[in-house]
Amino acid sequence: MTALDKHSFAGYLKSALHGTAYGLGFRVGHLNGIARTFGSIIGKPDFPAISAQMHDHAMTLAQAPAKRYYNDGRYFVDVMMSVFAYYDMDLPLPIGDTYNYEAEALGAKMIYGEDSMPTVDLSEPLIKKHSDLLKLKPPNPLKDGRMPYALQVMKVIGEYLGVSLGFFCSHFSLACAIRTYPLLIRDMRKNPEFVHDLFSFLTDEVLLPYGIAMKEEAGVRFALGADAWAAFPNLTPEMVEEWVAPYSADLRKKSRQHRFLMAPGTAAADYCEEDPAKINPEMMRKCFSAFGKAAGAPIVFIGMGRGQDMPLEVLQDYALENKARYYGKLPIIAALNARFVRDSTPQEIVNMVKNYINVMGREGHFLIFFANIPADTPSDHIHSAITATRTYGRYPIAKDLDAIAYEFPQRESYDQWLKSQTIAETIFSAREEKKRANVQ
Amino acid sequence: MTTEIYHHIRTAITEGDDEQAEKLVILALEGEFPPLDILNHGVIPGILKTGELWKNNEYFLPDVILSADAFKAAMSPLDPVLRESGDSSHRKKFVIGVVEGDMHDLGKSLVIAMLTSAGFEVIDLGIDVPRSKFIDAVKEHQPVIVGMGAYMTTTMLEMREIIAELENQNLRQNLKVMVGGVPTSQEFADEVGADAWGKDALDAMHKAMAFVDVS
Repeated sequence: MTALDKHSFAGYLKSALHGTAYGLGFRVGHLNGIARTFGSIIGKPDFPAISAQMHDHAMTLAQAPAKRYYNDGRYFVDVMMSVFAYYDMDLPLPIGDTYNYEAEALGAKMIYGEDSMPTVDLSEPLIKKHSDLLKLKPPNPLKDGRMPYALQVMKVIGEYLGVSLGFFCSHFSLACAIRTYPLLIRDMRKNPEFVHDLFSFLTDEVLLPYGIAMKEEAGVRFALGADAWAAFPNLTPEMVEEWVAPYSADLRKKSRQHRFLMAPGTAAADYCEEDPAKINPEMMRKCFSAFGKAAGAPIVFIGMGRGQDMPLEVLQDYALENKARYYGKLPIIAALNARFVRDSTPQEIVNMVKNYINVMGREGHFLIFFANIPADTPSDHIHSAITATRTYGRYPIAKDLDAIAYEFPQRESYDQWLKSQTIAETIFSAREEKKRANVQ
Repeated sequence: MTTEIYHHIRTAITEGDDEQAEKLVILALEGEFPPLDILNHGVIPGILKTGELWKNNEYFLPDVILSADAFKAAMSPLDPVLRESGDSSHRKKFVIGVVEGDMHDLGKSLVIAMLTSAGFEVIDLGIDVPRSKFIDAVKEHQPVIVGMGAYMTTTMLEMREIIAELENQNLRQNLKVMVGGVPTSQEFADEVGADAWGKDALDAMHKAMAFVDVS
């Protein structure tokens, strides 16, 4: 079963239950990707689940025209799912330019590149002066900007996975998109009342109604809110607790009142120290704690940071010390750094995965994530990481991982693989359209 | 008024108090303190102290942003006086911009603050800068360094094309090229033929200074 195989809701539920039971120790049957994801959170699956953020990479690999990719929700999900299937990843997360939809719908000026993701024009922020906040009108998710596109993406995800997954930009990152980060930082020091007004507007009048539209239009029961602008050192963990966590908790509470869950704060307090010499275990722990409060999730998470340089024992110890209520060790979602995956050799990547598993995977509750795979990353780097996970990560994990032989995967190219897939025509014909447009 | 005012300017900049920094510089100029001394004993040590605190894990990005703001505020009354007096004519030129398709300029703003504090004359081309504009700016300003930033893994690839174009037009003989931005790395800088990668604003400043010895 690959990411291109469609699940029904009942199928999804069955996989979730299977994975949960397996993770708890009832090791029966073969796990599919969804089951493996649940098993990895709950305990020990067959081997750790793998997922990725990779919209830029998928677009580049599939040679997809950017304008169609970021405007046609069905095409976007089809392309993404094909790349998830090609790499045989467990949990497909076909999520695109999450940080843009709400800002664009509010009226932010966008730049659409020929070969790149749309991006907010930060040189012309929507809120240039504080009084501009009063001029903003809550967007209509059914017609403003590309919110309808995002809703279509969520709906199509539901057709593939059996459940629709919602996604949105959390209030802090959204505020950065319409005010800019430096101005917002100044406001936080000089005019905190304005910042509270802004965050309340975004939470109550933009995000909650958008979430309700996700539920009503796309059947979303769970929506993840991305918040990379709130990562460390953009904000200190103390600032995350003061400015991010309370509004995140508020949105969670209000969405529950509408019988679905919006979970903002993903990547808030993500420990992204760039200088290996400055990596600080005490600050890492503070960040894990702040992330837990902002995201409201009993999870230890490293996303965009330099995992290759971090003392991984700090994550593992924190996860063991701060047990989840029902299943022990906190699940660790550990990303392979984007630049590391692009710039390293396959052997270095394999060694890295081996080390991740050796330090953080032995007790289970462990997932591997690729944080925003760079556009031009060679495919063999990703295949190597996935094969390494399944070579070294098989439970129970061997005492001496160095004693296990690793064979580099010999895989066909994406294009060769695609030819035998039913989705091929969609992707190849879009590519031809792009070529024709370029010639004209 | 005594030279104690330099200490207060330094503190205002390091603590990110832009209004106070500007006010004190105006006061110092009115008190006829030499503009170059205000710069060298007040303004520059203030922003350099911020860099030091950042390096020592005592300051984080919000502190640096506010300090860079205060630096900019302090320079606003000082810069015209320095230009008028000819005290800035020796400054080495650094052309900087964010590549086409990319709108993220936070890193660039910080790099500009640090480079200015290090004595560079920075020509800021802004964001979403087309290849031709980089080339034209190099021809026009003849900088010692050109710096390019990108935030996205798709747009960073444009840096390779710009560097190739600089080579095609024989513009690299006396020109150093620096790259930076979230998705970039030393490996990427090597791959595209840049002379240096700026890990962060402070690192970019140190590498730029090493190229031209402006300290």
